[in-house]
Amino acid sequence: MMGQMIVNGVVTAALIAPPAVAFSMLFGILRFPNFAIGGYITVGVFTGYAANVLFGLPLWAASLAAMLAGAAVVWASDRIIFRPMRTSSPVTLLVVSIALTFVLEHTVRLVFGADVRGFDLPLERPLVFGGMHITRPQLYLMGASLLVVIVTHFLLTRTRIGKAMRAMADNSQLAEVRGIRSVLVRVMVTLYCGALLGLSGVSAGLDLVIEPLLGWGLTIPIIAAAILGGIGSVYGAMLGAVLVGLAEEFATLILPSSYKIGVGFAMITILLLLRPYGLLGQPEIKK
Amino acid sequence: MQTLISRRRVVTGSTAAMLGTAFVPRFAYASDPINIGSLTPNTGGGAPYGGNMAAAIKRTVDQINAAGGVLNRQIKLTQEDGETNPETATRAADKLINVNQVIAILGTWASSVTLGIMPKCQSANVIQMCVSSSSDIPLRDTKGLVFNFQILNPVWGRALGQLALERGYKRFKLMALNNDFTKSILDGFVDAVGAGRLLEKPFYYNANQASYKSEVSHLLEGNPDAVFIPGYVTDFTAIYKDIYRSGYKGRVITVTFAASAPFKAAVGDAAEGILHGYPIPPLDSPAYKQYLREAGLEDNGQIQHPYGTLCRDQISVLALAIQKAGSIDVDKVKKAIVDVSTGPGKKTVYNVLDGLKAIRAGEEINYSGAGSPVEFDSHRQTVDRDVQLYEIKGGKDVVLTTRKG
Repeated sequence: MMGQMIVNGVVTAALIAPPAVAFSMLFGILRFPNFAIGGYITVGVFTGYAANVLFGLPLWAASLAAMLAGAAVVWASDRIIFRPMRTSSPVTLLVVSIALTFVLEHTVRLVFGADVRGFDLPLERPLVFGGMHITRPQLYLMGASLLVVIVTHFLLTRTRIGKAMRAMADNSQLAEVRGIRSVLVRVMVTLYCGALLGLSGVSAGLDLVIEPLLGWGLTIPIIAAAILGGIGSVYGAMLGAVLVGLAEEFATLILPSSYKIGVGFAMITILLLLRPYGLLGQPEIKK
Repeated sequence: MQTLISRRRVVTGSTAAMLGTAFVPRFAYASDPINIGSLTPNTGGGAPYGGNMAAAIKRTVDQINAAGGVLNRQIKLTQEDGETNPETATRAADKLINVNQVIAILGTWASSVTLGIMPKCQSANVIQMCVSSSSDIPLRDTKGLVFNFQILNPVWGRALGQLALERGYKRFKLMALNNDFTKSILDGFVDAVGAGRLLEKPFYYNANQASYKSEVSHLLEGNPDAVFIPGYVTDFTAIYKDIYRSGYKGRVITVTFAASAPFKAAVGDAAEGILHGYPIPPLDSPAYKQYLREAGLEDNGQIQHPYGTLCRDQISVLALAIQKAGSIDVDKVKKAIVDVSTGPGKKTVYNVLDGLKAIRAGEEINYSGAGSPVEFDSHRQTVDRDVQLYEIKGGKDVVLTTRKG
């Protein structure tokens, strides 16, 4: 039972780690918590569904379509809504992003309806190792999630654009003075994070169920993982995801499962009281 | 020349006139429309049914209005989406009561929604007509304003529990969505199978979770012969995927709207063998056949629009009761609701227009509906609805048996 709970927690972590990384990166550049991630995930999963079920494409191609749709919608929402409002307060932008989630989810509902759906992929019986069970798609999900974290780390530390992203996240005015093209960086970040969120939509559709509120249901654990790990830290987001996943699993040993989300958040509150910038985040120096 | 009316007098007089009209009581005139609201689950867990329910109410109101209305007054219908969410529904009920000034709210589906809006309806003296099954509904209705067109859960749960016993299952575990609907259906199931056959006390999960894996691991611990999981299609689909992926070989039992067509499409062949059941419309009733024609559906012998039919019955019974009461006084109307729907020795009518004609001719009527015969007990709960039980075979619902409600 204990081993299975760890497996369950890691699978959940694999599901929420990539969008937590995306949330963290978007926060670094846009400087507000973008709650529209739920809407972006919903757009991603339904694009993947349309490509896979309605157009008969294989799942890898449907995932690619979801990544493209995610990139397009995150870029477009930044270009049309958030960039013109960049002088507004973070609280205003946060509220606008919540509204955007509802707009995106209801648009999806208008087009596809409210019924639950699934990809054109048969459910599989599990592989069993030492009494613990896991399915092949869940192994792929964990592999993909790990790959996303490694690629993102490589992008941020080994490429010029990645270094520019970090510089912008650190101090955008100073970065601009040093010749970094802030608009280009912003475009690249939104496209990259959009692709991650689109891919996360497909992962969530495989693990849970495809429906318009799928993204909204994942929003709180994703943001919790990003905050717990430390905003701006890629590995922190992954660690945060693992801790949130495990906390929710193990909470059921202590309390009825209808209270499990509360236990996870109690843990986050205590950790943040002790370390406000998250587990792997850096304290922000204000002058 | 001296003016007869000074400017000061004009201002004083106008102000007095305006203030005066503000305190004139608002009278309902015979030509005023009768305001009725609907609060159907167009989105959320009840979404597969909400559209049919809202459409059935609208269609019936249109029929009534086209035939001259009730008491020579048109019905003004205001329709809201409760989102299968008690918080949203409560806000919508506020609007229906205070802005639209409805005398009745029809079409609530989730028990949590019906119970959630009940305090507002009770304090505003507004009639509620629902298709919810929680046993708490009659207990909390202190003013006799709630008319439930669905049978209560214990009947439903018992039918499923009896089926499980007949199949020879002896060890059960139960898990349910954490809401008002499921608690009493679990009671009925436990009543049928016996508490001694449960490996553990039933437990609950919340909707919209990022993962149900820990709940599923807990549910399947001890490898029970069968598990009973009443929930909505959204959470049940995610849970069932995890059950299947865990390698569980026992039997899964649920309620029909959780294992509906979208569920089967989402999980494919993995749905094979699931047992489920729910209260059904009387398929041979003339009212059910009329409903199919009104909704443009073919009579294929299968259950269609199980909740849309009940909503046709709600608005029909309400309109007939208003005609019978001769006014929209809620106390008279609620008494008339039982008069026009319940009791022997009356002329049976199967649609609202025939019923209105009969009442105008001075006849006593008993409306027999598309969703049920509509017979209320002393707690204003529908009795006499059958429960049909199914097994999913080859991707289709195969009828196993029908039990009397």
